[in-house]
Amino acid sequence: MKSLQTLLAKDLRRAWRNPVPWLVSIAVPLVITALIGVAFSPRAGSSGFGKVRFALVDEDDSRFTRMIRDALRGDEAGKYLDAEILDRGEAVRRVTNNKLAAAVIIPKGFTKDYLRARPVALELVKNPAQAIHPAIVEEGLGLLVSALNAIARTLGDDLAEWGALLDGSERFDFRAAGRLLERTGDHLAPAKAYLNPPLVSYEGETRANTSRPGPAWSLFAFLLIGMGAMFFLYMADNAMRDLYRELRFRTLERFQTLHEGLVVLITAKVAFAMAVVVAGAVILFGGGSLLFRFAWRQPLALTVLVVAYALFAAGFMGLLAALAGNERRADILNNVIVMVISLAGGCMFPPQQLPAFMRDHLTPLLPTAWFAGAARAVQDDPASLAWVGAAGGLAGVGVIVLLLAAALFRRRLQRGARA
Amino acid sequence: MALLQGNDLSKRFGEILAVDRVSFEVSKGEIYGLLGPNGAGKTTTISLVCGLLKPDGGNVVVNGSNFWSDPQAARRIMGVVPQDLAIYEELSGRENLEFWGRIAGLSLRDARARARELLEALSLVDRGNDSIKKYSGGMKRRVNLGCALMHRPDLLLLDEPTVGIDPHARANILDFIRGLVADGAAILYTTHYLEEAEMLCHRIGIIDHGRVLAEGTLADLRQRLGEAQLFVIEGVLAGVEPESWVGFAERFRVIQKTDRQLTVAAVGQRDPAECLKELLALPVRVENVTLKRPSLNETFLQLTGRELRE
Repeated sequence: MKSLQTLLAKDLRRAWRNPVPWLVSIAVPLVITALIGVAFSPRAGSSGFGKVRFALVDEDDSRFTRMIRDALRGDEAGKYLDAEILDRGEAVRRVTNNKLAAAVIIPKGFTKDYLRARPVALELVKNPAQAIHPAIVEEGLGLLVSALNAIARTLGDDLAEWGALLDGSERFDFRAAGRLLERTGDHLAPAKAYLNPPLVSYEGETRANTSRPGPAWSLFAFLLIGMGAMFFLYMADNAMRDLYRELRFRTLERFQTLHEGLVVLITAKVAFAMAVVVAGAVILFGGGSLLFRFAWRQPLALTVLVVAYALFAAGFMGLLAALAGNERRADILNNVIVMVISLAGGCMFPPQQLPAFMRDHLTPLLPTAWFAGAARAVQDDPASLAWVGAAGGLAGVGVIVLLLAAALFRRRLQRGARA
Repeated sequence: MALLQGNDLSKRFGEILAVDRVSFEVSKGEIYGLLGPNGAGKTTTISLVCGLLKPDGGNVVVNGSNFWSDPQAARRIMGVVPQDLAIYEELSGRENLEFWGRIAGLSLRDARARARELLEALSLVDRGNDSIKKYSGGMKRRVNLGCALMHRPDLLLLDEPTVGIDPHARANILDFIRGLVADGAAILYTTHYLEEAEMLCHRIGIIDHGRVLAEGTLADLRQRLGEAQLFVIEGVLAGVEPESWVGFAERFRVIQKTDRQLTVAAVGQRDPAECLKELLALPVRVENVTLKRPSLNETFLQLTGRELRE
């Protein structure tokens, strides 16, 4: 026990004297959380994406298309859309030069063909250099096309008469319009039960903005948990790979010339890995809470989860390092595996966004997902007991991988492994 | 009774026989030197003695007991100074000493006291609290040595403890080692420096290609040449074959020959003046003949056919 304490104190002192690798492991997740959180948090006070700038090319220039243009530039749409009315050449040039997200082109004769129930097509030119905005324009165009198709089917034969009426070449015939409106009213009468009052509606609520830390769901907490799950593995990896550094510095060889066994040394390294993970969690989660102004809703459950995860992380990264056989291989192998199990465990993205196969078959098996899922669950709902099972699972797997890692490391070191 | 015995130690790494039936004994108050070039098997021998490697053949006896029957007990009386520095760069000299003392079984109080004592003995008191990173090569070597002495071991295994440091730092370390022996320690000392072996060791084993070729005191080893003196003949010796001279091989043994120099030893107890006369009468153009006492280098040369520095 005395040797264990001495070894642990020595490692902590060395870490304290050379803090850069540890600080990086804490600073990076905080920075990533801040960047993503600020960009997408509801508190940012905007849609998070900015206005979608696109060109509208109206080659038809009919009463009908002017109605569409006005609608797109109205107050409500103007909150999210910035439509510029351009000719085709200028629109395509500005999309090509990455000035606009997309161009929507209404071809000449569109209204006439549509109102005569002939197939028509709107054109869309997307800018691949912009990630999300062109997709939003495309989705919006899809909605418009669905609406136009629905109107055409509802009005049936009357559509042609509407076309004639709206044709700008003749004087507007109010009498004909009155007759047409009456018939259209007859078409819509069966839908009255659904439209007034509407059959389906929704109620919206926007909570008052508050600067005070509160129990509300926090995007920052959500992100920090995921980032923590990933970077705690990196920290444990750094601590466990110190065994290889001790080989390289020959201090492990010197240790082996003394009467203490290798088990003490490996146990001390595990304790060191757990200590740095727990210390890292205190700084990352505690500092994150202060920095991003949210409160952890179940600190005790989170603490238990962190300790269990630290045990798993030390054992798992130790096992990987032992399997790798030397420091350089362990460096490469461990980094790749941490990335993969963090991605598949829902640390970087919400698990719901993962591909179906991964989400349904792989993610539930990963301890990274157990930790992140349980920690997020208790943050969402303090009454949740998901952390109990997750902590038990993490501790159980942690003990198994630790025993395997210790046995493998001991065997390698006894056989004269080199860094 | 010898504190350490290596009996017919052998170790093979694949095709390479690194140590081949090496035997030696080290008693209290004695420095036994293993002298040999790099790759001779010195470090492997030390690794076998301290249990870092298990021998394929032979055994190690420490304080009368087979090492592997109770390795922990054997290690408690051993202090090992590895050839490479085995200290923590992030810690200070004092912290390194205290740490290794604690691991060797000292209480915190004893470790602190002993570290103070050693820092003073190794002339490191002023720099004891500095990080090892700021130490010179010689200072690091001294800390490396001190870490093995924290628990006052009776048996010290020093694997080239002065390699790569300046002469002044080396002299300091050698003085310190002499002090340890004076206090009764038994030391197994490996080196490839002839001068160190000559100055420091009570007995020397010359090792090459994993085999101890000769062993004894410095006088014993010199005596192996069979004579008290060597004759160094300088002249034009290119293409000369001394073995072809009539009666030469019966009277002299060639130790070394180059195009300009021939070193020979007289066979048996002979009058040096008589030998000189015979050498000057050789059928070559002799420019100079010098008489000198044989050194370990000549012994090594005779045993291995090459110089230690090759």
